[in-house]
Amino acid sequence: MQYSLNEIEALCKRAARGSGLSWGLAEDAARAARWLASYGLPGPKLLASLLELNDRIRFSDVAPVSLSGAWSAPLGRMSPIIAGAAMSDCANHLLGGEDIVMHDVTQPLLIVPFASTAALSRNQSVQIFWDDVCLTTDGRTLSVQGNSDALTAEHTARLTSVCGGDMTNLIISVYRGEIDDMSWKRLSRFAHRTYAPATAESRASGAGAGLDGND
Amino acid sequence: MQSISYPSIRVKVSHAVTDTSASIERRSPHEVMQLSRLGSFHQSRLSFMRVLTRRMQREKWTFSQPVFDIDSNGVGHAVLCAHGPVRTYSLIAFAHDIPATQRSDRVIATAWDSTFTLFDGIPTPEDIDRLSKNVPLQEAGRVTERELSLSRANRSVRLWEHVVSSLAKGQQPDQDQLTSVGYLMRTTAVYGSGKFGAADREIIADRPEFSAPFQLEMLSVYLTRSFSRDLVQHMATLRGGSDAVVLDSHIARSIGIGNSTGLGMAPFILNHPVLFNNWITAREEAIHRVRRVSTAQQGEASIFRELLDRSLVSAERWHSVHPGQVTKIQSLMSDLALLQTHVQRENLIDDNPWDRLYRWALNSLTTEGQECLNSLLLEPYGHLVDDLVDSMATEYNVGIQIDGTKTLADLKDSLLQAYDWALAINWRLPENSARVWYVSAEKLEPRLGERCAESIEDYEQPLSPGRDAALLLESLQSWPKNTSIAEFLLRHPEHRHTVRRVQMAEEYPYAEIRDNTISATLLPIDMLRCKLSFFGAIHFDPRSDRWVRICLFGNAPYPEELANRDSDHWPYPDYQQIASCNTH
Repeated sequence: MQYSLNEIEALCKRAARGSGLSWGLAEDAARAARWLASYGLPGPKLLASLLELNDRIRFSDVAPVSLSGAWSAPLGRMSPIIAGAAMSDCANHLLGGEDIVMHDVTQPLLIVPFASTAALSRNQSVQIFWDDVCLTTDGRTLSVQGNSDALTAEHTARLTSVCGGDMTNLIISVYRGEIDDMSWKRLSRFAHRTYAPATAESRASGAGAGLDGND
Repeated sequence: MQSISYPSIRVKVSHAVTDTSASIERRSPHEVMQLSRLGSFHQSRLSFMRVLTRRMQREKWTFSQPVFDIDSNGVGHAVLCAHGPVRTYSLIAFAHDIPATQRSDRVIATAWDSTFTLFDGIPTPEDIDRLSKNVPLQEAGRVTERELSLSRANRSVRLWEHVVSSLAKGQQPDQDQLTSVGYLMRTTAVYGSGKFGAADREIIADRPEFSAPFQLEMLSVYLTRSFSRDLVQHMATLRGGSDAVVLDSHIARSIGIGNSTGLGMAPFILNHPVLFNNWITAREEAIHRVRRVSTAQQGEASIFRELLDRSLVSAERWHSVHPGQVTKIQSLMSDLALLQTHVQRENLIDDNPWDRLYRWALNSLTTEGQECLNSLLLEPYGHLVDDLVDSMATEYNVGIQIDGTKTLADLKDSLLQAYDWALAINWRLPENSARVWYVSAEKLEPRLGERCAESIEDYEQPLSPGRDAALLLESLQSWPKNTSIAEFLLRHPEHRHTVRRVQMAEEYPYAEIRDNTISATLLPIDMLRCKLSFFGAIHFDPRSDRWVRICLFGNAPYPEELANRDSDHWPYPDYQQIASCNTH
């Protein structure tokens, strides 16, 4: 079904939070899924798979151990949301010419939106490549070169981010996201965890019952 | 009844800035961003409804009603088109006949007297057919990117019947009854920005008519008001036949659109900090510019005095049974009376007259009166302040980037700068953390609960920036100052949301409410009123401390009147109404 980008972001934020990510990372995850959806890429679906894989997992198990040298996570699979957020935080280094290399990244496509945020902040482009695919973004547009099957790889042994890159073979951005029903349901299941079960108190006063609405 | 004409007002540009003016500074965020002050804001010429009516008049928008197909039971649909210089937008209204028992303003309702969507263009019969299967369902339906908003409205039961039966019998309705309610219909939700499948803001943000915030929502409400007048007339004509009369245009103009707003709106201003910053900055800069006017023109002083008189009439018509609001209305009326007396003897021409008035108010008026004055100060100065409207929107994603290469020392400096007020609060005291913002599973709507009494803490939404900043500072204390923020966040992901806000507050000083949003004494209606004042709402009538009734577009010119009436000062009751009040 087709959704607005705002709907996608709202659901993904709740879903990411429901899976145990902090609010700050949930916001980042949601923006990432929305950004990919706006290029017709399956960001929400990949996010649903990631959340299932890392459901309530300890954060430090799938986070980079250190931000110096090549990044890797203790569990042998790094969360693209956590790594992507850290890469975005380090945008000044990346755009200053320091390449970032990551080992064993889950759902690598989910990292690309973070490159976009970094690129936008400095009005430069950032290139990310893994396996035999290379994506370049200046924050406003996205270019894909190489084997597009690798875009949806579940895992890559090595991912590299570098400053620069040519914006050719652009993907057209769209304002709607096409999401299959199953992915939407998977995300909704996680989102539901963030909703408090109704109680007598919440029914009585949570929304501020008061004077009658009719006049 | 005679048509009303406003005194024609011509204003010369006069904003020479003197040495004295140069020392006048914009109000600080510490002063402005208190809930008690934000909850005392009034509409101003920067309010979004007024931005819309000014534009429609300036650009000579025209209006048409190609379809009005509603039967004697009040069931059917209508299409109202607004034609701008480049594009047309159509309000598609579906009218329903619902039993009184189903009429509720709560967001959880499932049936309404009328449901609406604002369509991008002119709908075809196929569009209307598609929408007739979805719009009446509201949240349970789906719309598409051709639809810009989704909304609904209920009738004011007693006023609606009074107006229909009066007109049907050949009589005009009683003005006092109309004044006491203020509207024929009240909207209970106006959804935009991609909700339920509607167009995302990004689709229309580059259109000049929607560059200011909430313009399409305001257009939808403006056309809804027109529809409510047309529908009441239609029903009266069907009932009364040849006995029916046309609703007097002066009475019609006094009718606005009611709106019931609940807790759902309160988190908005916390969840959109950059947008909120831009609204407050525009208003504060506008006040600042006017205070810096060294010498006012007579015409400018006249506008101020006239609108002050009209504000007093408006305040007298502001009714509420909410004890807190009753006190505020009383304060406002005595403040405005005091201000009226003061400006009768005061020179409003020389020596930075508006800054003098502003300073006098600080010591003489309550917060309510001060903020009403601040809005009034802007009225004569459209040529100085209206351009600020262009800075009130924001692009998606602005301000979200964390600079993790900065050090924790930098972060701490920023935190101490913007959140010093939060560090003075003992958050461990139950009364200071008494509330929890959460979303209920039952209705998927924001709620406010009691931390100690309910099992809801696990579901807490990040809507307490002050407490969270204090927690961040606690965590920072054990880290070396030269550590990068990125390294810190790798170990403390729970602070990521707050670190982003702290960095945002550096660049956007009015982004954050500098007050406790989870205190036992929190009044969410302060947050609602602040936001609604930017819409241009007047006559806030809290129905509890968590939801509020307001009136939109009361006194505004109707579409067919836009070209010939004052499109600037309509929120203030006009002279004839003042005379009528005095007679009573």
